[in-house]
Amino acid sequence: MGKVIVITSGKGGVGKTTTTANLGTGLAAMGQKVCLVDTDIGLRNLDVVMGLENRIVYDLLHVVEGQCRLRQALIKDKQFGDRLVLLPAPQTREKDAVTPEQMKKLTDELREEYDFVLLDSPAGIEHGFKNAIAGADTAIVVTTPEIAAVRDADRIIGLLEAAELYDPHLIINRVRPNMVRRGDMMSISDIDDILAIDILGVVPDDQDIIVSTNKGEPIVTDPKSRAGQAYRNIVRRLLGEDVPLMNLQERTVMHWFKRLLSGEAH
Amino acid sequence: MHTQLCAIKGSRDGLVVTINDAAQFSAVLDALEKQLIASESFFQGSTAKLMVREGALTADQLDAIERLINRHGMTLDRRPPSWGLPSNREPEPRTQGSALEENTLLVKRTIRSGQRLHYDGNVVVMGDVNPGAEIVCTGDILVLGSLRGVAHAGAEGKLDAIVFAFRLEPTQLRIAHLISRAPDEKLPQPEGPEIARVVGDRIQLSVYNH
Repeated sequence: MGKVIVITSGKGGVGKTTTTANLGTGLAAMGQKVCLVDTDIGLRNLDVVMGLENRIVYDLLHVVEGQCRLRQALIKDKQFGDRLVLLPAPQTREKDAVTPEQMKKLTDELREEYDFVLLDSPAGIEHGFKNAIAGADTAIVVTTPEIAAVRDADRIIGLLEAAELYDPHLIINRVRPNMVRRGDMMSISDIDDILAIDILGVVPDDQDIIVSTNKGEPIVTDPKSRAGQAYRNIVRRLLGEDVPLMNLQERTVMHWFKRLLSGEAH
Repeated sequence: MHTQLCAIKGSRDGLVVTINDAAQFSAVLDALEKQLIASESFFQGSTAKLMVREGALTADQLDAIERLINRHGMTLDRRPPSWGLPSNREPEPRTQGSALEENTLLVKRTIRSGQRLHYDGNVVVMGDVNPGAEIVCTGDILVLGSLRGVAHAGAEGKLDAIVFAFRLEPTQLRIAHLISRAPDEKLPQPEGPEIARVVGDRIQLSVYNH
């Protein structure tokens, strides 16, 4: 029986989809069987981030309405094949086309076959959010070090508790150590002070994410990337390993040396 | 404050009509009628309980009150109240509202953004009250943690209500009808517990010394 994890945030644009894509790819790279489900009906983009957009024939709605078999709708990943599949969201329909009961049935079916089922939740706290959390065992809340995002994360944690999804995990995305050091950005401990939930990982802000997202290749497989390293650490924590939080301040000599070699400025 | 003849208050169990039995019964009836007229539409259709010292009213007087209440579109619950006033006549005079001993709600979790807590009585939170959360109650608020949201104590006009927190950094603080808010610029915060109370016509924060 696999685990069903919903990735949610409340606020939009904090990196839910990027996180889902990277954790899914990372878990597959560690030998797990993973299914990613895009529950953002009408605004799908997990397929784009995974670079699988052009392979979509059936989507989540076709499955719950019985217009195709579940297996037909699952899109195999370019790199990992059967080990990493995506169930895309319908692009054209309204969010209330699917009910929480249908979602629960779907995720229960998926967990029979996969070790991890990751649900990419839409922004907001309405119907789409309720669908996304309906079948989940646990939740990962993604936030960025901004007051608005932390406020929404707090709201989401409250709503998750109300839905009996206790002890969610937190990923703090797009942290800029230099700004934190100058006191211009909320620090990890500022955020922990308010949200007070288990921190699963801290991902540094990394311009390469934009490049990787546009290419449809999750950065977690890039051994040189700091953000990729952060995602790999999170994956190992999800698998039960005890990995300390990455020290964002410190740049290793090796890293500095590599940058010098690759001809980067400063 | 002059002695009130009667008071109508909302509670979780419906309306509660408190009557001062030391006063002239006819005066009480007049005062009650005035109050009922003043808020007729608001009370329409609700059930009221009577709060009065045991044996202070005769059966005729009780009937008179019931007729009056019925005339104004309400019904009277004549079952004996679950929390009656003690029948001996001492610590009078009490101010309006405090005729009921206040209940206290114990909350053993953090109140998060978007969550609101309304309570008729005191509230004790064992946890934090986060920014975006709100507590409104008729009595005191005690937070055994950080209070960063909005707190409104003494919401029905109790000016001696207090707000206490281990870290008192509210977005906004209200006691009775008074409102104060956090300063726009960050000020150094005392590390220890603080207490807010009304002094004069302002809410004043001070370090808590027991």
